[in-house]
Amino acid sequence: MKHVEVLIIGAGPAGLSAADVLLEAGAEVALIDRSDRPGGQLTKQTHMFFGSQEHYASKRGIEILHVLYDKIKDHPRLHMFSETTVAGLYPDRVVACVSGQRYFTIQADIIIVATGASEKSLPFENNDLPGVYAAGAVQTLMNVYGVKPGDKVLMVGSGNIGLIVAYQLMQAGVKVPVLVEAAKTISGYHVHASKIRRLGVDIRMRTSIKRALGTDHVEGAQIWQLDARWQGIAGTEETIEVDTICLAVGLSPLTELLQQLGAEVIYINELGGHVPRLNEKFETTVEGVYACGDVAGIEEASSAMIAGKIAGLEAALKQGYALEDAQARQAALHTSLKTLRSGPHGEKIRKGHARLGART
Amino acid sequence: MMTQANVVIIGGGISGASIAYHLAEAGVKDIVVLEKHYMTYGATGRCGAGVRQQWGTRMNCLLAKKSVAFFEKAQEILAYDGDIEFKQEGYLIVASDEAEAKTFAAHVALQNSLGIPARVCTKEEARAIVPHLNTDAIHSATFCPTDGHLNPFTMTDAFFKAAKRLGVHYYDHTAVTDIRRQNGQIEGVMTQHGFIKTNTVVNAAGGWAKDIGAMVGLDIPVYSRNHEILVTEPVEKMQGPMVISFSKNIYCQQTPHGAFIMGRGDKDAPKGLDMGSSWQFLEAMAKTVSDLLPPVGELRVIRQWGGLYNMSPDHQPIISASRDVPGFYIACGFSGHGFMLAPMTGLLIREMILGQTPSMPLEALSLERFEGQEIEELETSVV
Ligand SMILES: Cc1cc2nc3c(=O)[nH]c(=O)nc-3n(C[C@H](O)[C@H](O)[C@H](O)COP(=O)(O)OP(=O)(O)OC[C@H]3O[C@@H](n4cnc5c(N)ncnc54)[C@H](O)[C@@H]3O)c2cc1C
Ligand SMILES: Cc1cc2nc3c(=O)[nH]c(=O)nc-3n(C[C@H](O)[C@H](O)[C@H](O)COP(=O)(O)OP(=O)(O)OC[C@H]3O[C@@H](n4cnc5c(N)ncnc54)[C@H](O)[C@@H]3O)c2cc1C
Repeated sequence: MKHVEVLIIGAGPAGLSAADVLLEAGAEVALIDRSDRPGGQLTKQTHMFFGSQEHYASKRGIEILHVLYDKIKDHPRLHMFSETTVAGLYPDRVVACVSGQRYFTIQADIIIVATGASEKSLPFENNDLPGVYAAGAVQTLMNVYGVKPGDKVLMVGSGNIGLIVAYQLMQAGVKVPVLVEAAKTISGYHVHASKIRRLGVDIRMRTSIKRALGTDHVEGAQIWQLDARWQGIAGTEETIEVDTICLAVGLSPLTELLQQLGAEVIYINELGGHVPRLNEKFETTVEGVYACGDVAGIEEASSAMIAGKIAGLEAALKQGYALEDAQARQAALHTSLKTLRSGPHGEKIRKGHARLGART
Repeated sequence: MMTQANVVIIGGGISGASIAYHLAEAGVKDIVVLEKHYMTYGATGRCGAGVRQQWGTRMNCLLAKKSVAFFEKAQEILAYDGDIEFKQEGYLIVASDEAEAKTFAAHVALQNSLGIPARVCTKEEARAIVPHLNTDAIHSATFCPTDGHLNPFTMTDAFFKAAKRLGVHYYDHTAVTDIRRQNGQIEGVMTQHGFIKTNTVVNAAGGWAKDIGAMVGLDIPVYSRNHEILVTEPVEKMQGPMVISFSKNIYCQQTPHGAFIMGRGDKDAPKGLDMGSSWQFLEAMAKTVSDLLPPVGELRVIRQWGGLYNMSPDHQPIISASRDVPGFYIACGFSGHGFMLAPMTGLLIREMILGQTPSMPLEALSLERFEGQEIEELETSVV
C-alpha cells in the first residue's frame, strides 16, 4: 500500500491552505479531490468576494483559487490526485480511493478532512422534475461549463447564495421574475438583495414553493404564503411561469467519511447539520485526523482558508516539523478567525460553535 | 416514566420486541421495554435479515421452521400498517467441495425429517435458480424454497406497534445501569432516568447481554464480535434467493428495492464491542462476490457498516430462565441468526415467565447446558 505523511481530502480553499502550510513545513502531502480541477466551490465563483481586505475581499473566488493553487502546484513534495473520490476512511488512517475504474488505498500518518458541503434540497411535489436545480449546480453549469440552465428561473431562498446566483443568472441573460423566502427577513447581505431588486426581481417574504408544474420538465411553479408556523396558507397559491426552479436553501457538511471513521459528530442546526467535535487544534476525536472548512460548519471561503492553515500548522507540529514563529502564527490565525466571526453576520456561527462547545 | 412494572425487558431489538408482544398478547399488563439508544440500534438494525431453515442442528432447524410459520402470517397477526417485506424466494447454500457437499447432504436429510422442504441441487440446477452464479466456483448446492428475507426495520416496528397497542410501555434513550437485588430476589432496574420496581427482568441486550448478566452476578458464556456488511446501489431485480457459502464466507441477497446486501465474517476480528468498518472487509467482500456472483461485482458500493454477533459456545441461542437468579430471563447468544428466530424467542420466554407448557424442549437452550460440559452439538452452518 502507498504511504504518505499527510493526506488531505478535498482541494477547496481549506484543503489548499492546509497543503500550503504543510509543504512549507517540509511534509510530503497527498491532496485528493473528486473533481477534475482543484478549488472546490471557488472554481465557480466569478463574483467579487465579500469580507476583509486581508481575506481577499473584492477579489473574485476564481482568482483566489489561482493565488492558492499556483503557489503549491509545482511543489516536488505535493502529490495531486484529481478525479479521485475518497470512498472510505478507516481508523488505521487508510483511505480507499476510486478513480474511474481504478480502486486503491493509501495510508497516511495524518489525515485532514476538508470535504466541504453539499447542497440541501426541499420536499415539495414534483421536486424530481428535470429543471429543478440546486443553486450551486446552476452556478457550476454557468460559470464552469458556460451552459445556461434555462430562460426563466424561480429562485428559492434569500441567503447570499440565492442572491448572488440570481444576479449571475440575470447577467447571463436569464430572467428571474420572483425570489421566494420562507423567513420574515432577507438572510443574505442587503447590498446583494438591493442589487437584484433594482434589476426587477420580485422578492416575496414568508412565501415558499408548493409544487413544480409540468410532466417531463418544469413548466411552472406554484408558490404560496406561509403562516407564523411555517405552514402554507390554502387559497394563497399563485402560479409562476418558469422553466427552471433553483433551490438555494442551505448546505450541509459532508461528514460521512468522518462518521464512517467513528469520529464523534454532533447535530448543530446553526452549523448546517452534523459536524465533527474538534479540539482547539482542529483535531477530531480520532487522533491524527483533522477537519477544517465547511465540513466543520458551513461558513465562508475566508474562514475556510484560515481554518485550513490552522489545521495544517497543527498537523505539521504533530509530525515533528519545527516551524518558525509557530505559536505567534497560531495566535494570529485564531485572532483572524475570531474577527471574521464577529459582527452581526457571524452571530449564527458564534451561536453554533457555542452550542457545539457546550455539548458533552 | 413508569416506576413499577410486572416485567422489564432490556433491549429494543427484534428479541425485545417479540418478547414484549408475546407477553402482552397473553394478557400481561405493565410491561416496560428499555432501550439505551433507539429501536433497532443493535444487531437488528444492522443485520442481513435472512431467514433460513437449512440448519445443521435439530434445535436450530425447529426454531427456524416454527419462526417461518409465524413470519408467513405476521403481517395479519400483528395487523401491521406497513410492509414487513417477507420474501420467500429461498436460500441457495453452495458447497465448495466434496466434503462440504457431504455435510450438506446429511443436513438436508435432517431438515427433511423435520418437514423442511430443502433439497440437494447439482451445479446446473443451482444455475437454473440463480442464473448469474459462477458454477466453476462451486461443487453443488442445497436449496429450500420457503427460506427468504425480511425488512428488519419494519418487522421490528410491526412487533412494537402491536405491543404498544396492547399497552406495552417503550422507552428509548434509556440505558439500564444496574439491577438491584435483595436476598437473591430482583427488586428493580436502575436506569439513567430513574428506578423501576419489578421482580422480573428479561435480558435481551444482544451484544451487550454479558454486561447485563454481570449486573445480577451471572457470567453468561457469550462473547461479541464485529461482523461487517455492505449495501450496493439498487438495480433491476436479478436474484430471488439469498446465496450463501460457509467455506467461501459470504451471504448475499437482493432487497425488494433492488440493492444487494452482502456480508462475511472475520474469524480474526478481535472479540469486543467495536462495530467499525474496515477496508480489509471491503476488499475481501468485493473479491468473494466477484468470484461467486460475477455481475454483482460490477455494482457500486453505497455504504458499509458493522454490527455485533453475540456468540455462544455451541452457536445455538441461550433462551433461558436463570436457575440462580429467580425472575431473571435470558435471550442472547444468537451467534448471528437471532433475527430469524425472534418469533420463537418471544414465545418461549413468555411460556417460561407464565409457567406455560413449553412449545419445545428447553434443555438445549438453557444457560446451564454449558456447565462442566463438553460442547455437544456445534452448529457449523454459520457465516
Ligand atoms: C454561490 C456561493 C457564493 C459564495 N460566496 C462567498 C464569498 O463571497 N465569500 C466567502 O468567503 N465565501 C463564499 N462562499 C462560501 C465558500 O465558497 C465556502 O465556504 C468554501 O468554499 C468552503 O471551502 P472548503 O474548502 O471547506 O470546501 P469546498 O470549497 O466545498 O471544497 C471541498 C472539496 O472537497 C472535494 N471533496 C468532497 N468530498 C470528497 C471525497 N469524498 N473525495 C474527494 N474529494 C472530495 C470537493 O470536490 C471539493 O473540491 C460562497 C459559496 C457559494 C456556494
Ligand atoms: C452483520 C450482521 C448480519 C446478520 N445477519 C443475520 C441474518 O441474515 N439473519 C438472522 O437471523 N440474523 C442475522 N444477524 C444476527 C441478528 O442481527 C441478531 O441475532 C439479532 O438481531 C439479535 O437481536 P436482539 O434483539 O437479541 O439484539 P440487538 O438487536 O443487538 O438488540 C439489543 C439492544 O439492547 C440494547 N441495550 C444494550 N445494553 C443496554 C442497556 N444497558 N440498557 C438498555 N438497552 C441496552 C442495545 O442498544 C440494542 O438495541 C446478523 C447480525 C449482524 C451483525
